[in-house]
Amino acid sequence: MPEITNLEPAASATPAAIAVTLPEAPPAKPNSGLFKRNPPIAGEAEAIERAKNGDAEAFSKLYGLHKRRVYTLCLRMLGNVSEAEDMTQEAFLHLFRKLGSFRGESAFSTWLHRLTVNLVLMHLRKKGLNLVSLEETINPSEEDAPKRDFGSRDPQLAGSVDRVALERAVASLPPGYRMVFVLHDVEGFEHNEIATMLDCSTGNSKSQLHKARLKLRELLRQTDQRSQTDQSTQPAQMKEAVQ
Amino acid sequence: MTQTPVKMTTENPTPDTMTLAEFEQRLPEFFATGTGSISDDPRLQAFLEANPDSAALVRDLEYIAAAASDLLKKEDIEPSDSVWQNIQNELKSALPDGPEPEPVA
Repeated sequence: MPEITNLEPAASATPAAIAVTLPEAPPAKPNSGLFKRNPPIAGEAEAIERAKNGDAEAFSKLYGLHKRRVYTLCLRMLGNVSEAEDMTQEAFLHLFRKLGSFRGESAFSTWLHRLTVNLVLMHLRKKGLNLVSLEETINPSEEDAPKRDFGSRDPQLAGSVDRVALERAVASLPPGYRMVFVLHDVEGFEHNEIATMLDCSTGNSKSQLHKARLKLRELLRQTDQRSQTDQSTQPAQMKEAVQ
Repeated sequence: MTQTPVKMTTENPTPDTMTLAEFEQRLPEFFATGTGSISDDPRLQAFLEANPDSAALVRDLEYIAAAASDLLKKEDIEPSDSVWQNIQNELKSALPDGPEPEPVA
């Protein structure tokens, strides 16, 4: 397995052409993710230059500006508060050491984001989670895999899922599913970028993403059913309490 | 770039001749290509109309993907104060002596 030694993010990858299996496919919608959501932040450029010269106040400003984003990313990728805080700490310490190499060729937040993703992936590899072969090594057990309920006619999810329920469901995904889902659907990376990061094929990335969505559907339905059951039993419980 | 139409074989049936199992097998690829919205993909309309369960599955998966992209806008979770304290402690040895900075909210 190749060891990650250079955590510094490379310039943004040019999306490779994705093989199209159907004729006359309409043009793909632009990915609404990472690279289109980094408007300049007031005072950031000055803080970066000052922090490069060892200005602690400026570094604290950078921390204040980016701590939520870095922490949220770590939390979503790891699904664990303690580990996410450790990785947030590591990311900013690494930032402090490597800030001098930031040339401003991409948005600072994009650069920091990539640095964080690379750190988290390296952390997972150190833990023994082999991301090289997602399919073989972190494919979930039968129990964790999405059920094949293709034809079921349960009520649709649309409109019934809140953000907290989705965050919880994502956190409970098996690591391989969660990683690809967070990188693609939440963070907006393309499959070819994910394949490069995880050292797997684009087909593998697509397959893991699909399984992750199927598993989330299953988890969210269970949550939805539980909340409906709770609502229907509440009046009876209240009645009992009154009696 | 001109797209080369794919030769239709039993391994690669047209959307009109797909079985449910074939549709399920090809779903990851459908999501990864095309418009990004399978529900609105004109090539799959006839199939989805004929298979309401498949249409419901597609709508759910599209809903999950859309809800996930909305999570990106909600990055309001803060790490605990101990994270910054630990960073400060680590940096103390690297930084010249001076007043301890407070993180900017």
